[in-house]
Amino acid sequence: MAHKKRAFMFGYSKSSSFVAKQLSYENLHLTLVLSSDEAYEKALADGYIDIKQIDITDDEALKELEVKEEDFLVCVLEDKHYNVFLTLSLHSLFPKTVIIALSDSLYTTQKLKMAGANRIIDLYQVSANRLHNIIHKPVTTKLVDRLLSPYEEFSFKEIDIPEGSPIDGTMVNDFNFEEYKVIMVGMIDRRLTNKFLFVTSGVENRFDSGDTIVCIGYNEDLKRFEDFVCNL
Amino acid sequence: MIKKFILRFAFFLHTSKRYKRFKAIVENFLLNPDYKYKKYFDIFMISLIVLSVAILIYEVEHTMPPWVDFVDIYIVTFVFTIEYVARVWVHNSWSKEVVKAHGEAKFLKKKFSLWEASRGVFKSKFFYLLTPAALIDLLAILPAYRPLRVLRIFVLFRVFKLLRYTKSINQFVEVLATKKFELFTLLFLILFIVFTSGIAIYVFEEKSNPDINSLFDGLYWALITISTVGYGDISPITMEGRIVSMLVIISGIAMISFVTSVIVSSFSEKLDELKENRLVEEINKTGKFMIFCGYGQMTRVFLRNYSKELGSNYIIIDKKRDKVEEAFKEGYQAIHEDASRHDVISKFNIEYSDITLFALTGSDVSNVYIILNAKSLSKNIKVITRASDESIANKCKLAGADHVVRPNIIANKMLLTAITQPVMYQAIYAILTGRHLAQLDEVMLVEHQKLVSLKLEEVNFKHYKLLFIGIQRGLKGDFVFNPDKRRVLNEKDILLLMGREASINHFKNSFQGVDYGT
Repeated sequence: MAHKKRAFMFGYSKSSSFVAKQLSYENLHLTLVLSSDEAYEKALADGYIDIKQIDITDDEALKELEVKEEDFLVCVLEDKHYNVFLTLSLHSLFPKTVIIALSDSLYTTQKLKMAGANRIIDLYQVSANRLHNIIHKPVTTKLVDRLLSPYEEFSFKEIDIPEGSPIDGTMVNDFNFEEYKVIMVGMIDRRLTNKFLFVTSGVENRFDSGDTIVCIGYNEDLKRFEDFVCNL
Repeated sequence: MIKKFILRFAFFLHTSKRYKRFKAIVENFLLNPDYKYKKYFDIFMISLIVLSVAILIYEVEHTMPPWVDFVDIYIVTFVFTIEYVARVWVHNSWSKEVVKAHGEAKFLKKKFSLWEASRGVFKSKFFYLLTPAALIDLLAILPAYRPLRVLRIFVLFRVFKLLRYTKSINQFVEVLATKKFELFTLLFLILFIVFTSGIAIYVFEEKSNPDINSLFDGLYWALITISTVGYGDISPITMEGRIVSMLVIISGIAMISFVTSVIVSSFSEKLDELKENRLVEEINKTGKFMIFCGYGQMTRVFLRNYSKELGSNYIIIDKKRDKVEEAFKEGYQAIHEDASRHDVISKFNIEYSDITLFALTGSDVSNVYIILNAKSLSKNIKVITRASDESIANKCKLAGADHVVRPNIIANKMLLTAITQPVMYQAIYAILTGRHLAQLDEVMLVEHQKLVSLKLEEVNFKHYKLLFIGIQRGLKGDFVFNPDKRRVLNEKDILLLMGREASINHFKNSFQGVDYGT
């Protein structure tokens, strides 16, 4: 049986507690890594069990976390200096692990990028994009909101194509998604690249085992399609 | 009987839409700086003024052909007369006051007096006629009366009319008006020195200096000397006269420096305000623009991403001077004002413009106040704000905000997606930023009439390399994800499509033609 993916979240503030709460519902193991007593007490009071209190500037303490390549490292410390420093430490200690960091300015984003963060969520960048979309693409904004909401009846779904899947070896254009009432947005065609390709990019893709496809649809249709793809 | 007739006439004017529309147009041409055709009227009037002054100068040494005189007398003067009368007419509304007074009299069951009702209006018009601007207008008409050649000099009053039509001269006068006290004090001081020194030189030199024969010569000499012009046609010859002369020269230099410093300081104080007013006027002319209240991180990032798309149809308002300077340095249009003030937002052409206001200051309290301020001025202003938490977001909505953005929530959702569904994160990130090879775009069927009445299955989206996601009925309708392909497209439907920018544009262009992509 495959190991559960793990996420290490560094920092626990009023804002990031939302992420921690949502992550605890997901199929992954969440470890909170905190340095202050106050954050530790709060996390404990909120019901988290796997909490480690360490000095995040101490590399030896970080090493003891035993982070693996497939894990996620989430840097959401409120102090941006510490957040950048932590990102740099984590990147030097675990260079192949994905680091996701939160930024509150363009300048911090640049620094986090240089420090080795793989994905940076810039608070103001995403908000500015949203402001723009509210004005120019109101329908799109509503749709994306619904897609991101865990309570909606339709959503995005990532599906990994396993070996022996009925769609293994099928060209994307030949497959009738209408039958499953889902829309394929794009995929990672590992035969070509490890990057995400939109279905509208004009590239002729083929479904192979190991590829990941992203679809939108009503939850039950997505489930039906996933069962079909995974041959369940 | 006559009274009844006049009253009926007043009611007729008051209720006549055509009359009101016509008066509004005239008012816009004469008085509304935001009216888009006013500048053409101003240019026309300036041209007439320049033409008539040019004729006056040319006439000094040349004989004018009769048609030039005709143009000057009949056309130019006719236009000026019409303008003069029109200004008196739009100054206030007689019919409105009469109807109002009649209504009040009826309500209070008292006797209606037509004269009483009209008196205030005529009095106000009379006082208008005595204003400097109206007097200049009147004097500018007089040169047309040819039997009195001396009246030709009144053509120069037409130059004063330029004050009405050129903003810079107007602003110069306005700036000087702010230093009225200082300038008047100086004027009195100069007059005092001119008089005392003029009298002194007259007393000391009247008998010995052949150039000084009267008190007027003394005053003339004093003025020429104090102004540091010094023609030299009159110069003192006695010791006493020379001492007076030295004192006048010294005080003259002091006066000139003082006047210069007063004018320069008033300009430097007002320069920013003048620039900002000009900026607001320019923005108002666009008819559709955005107002960013607060130049913080979010405004900065927004403009960094989208300022090219916006062109010059936006303005930043910040009450902190250093923030405004920062915005200027980065090449953005900004004014130093407090957006929560009623008079600041009122400067914008709220009634006729399509305004989107972003309340993005760092303070939730200020944002709520800005929302209330904007919405109290007009419900049509679209207000988008940011809020730090849910309770503030609710307050903003209660205050009337059309959209509330919560940066933490959006960022957290993205963060969560990046961890739990990393591939999907890439897709959503690309969609939200409109980058890479995919954009989500909306096509409203009003503009693309050829799609109306077609079934979805009749439109070959694949041909355009587009992905059809869903449809929404109008801006406020429900979004239908992946609808039945037999659905017929209607006017005002919004199609949500995904694809490259080129594909979307190709699709839009095609449906202005006949290609259905089948």
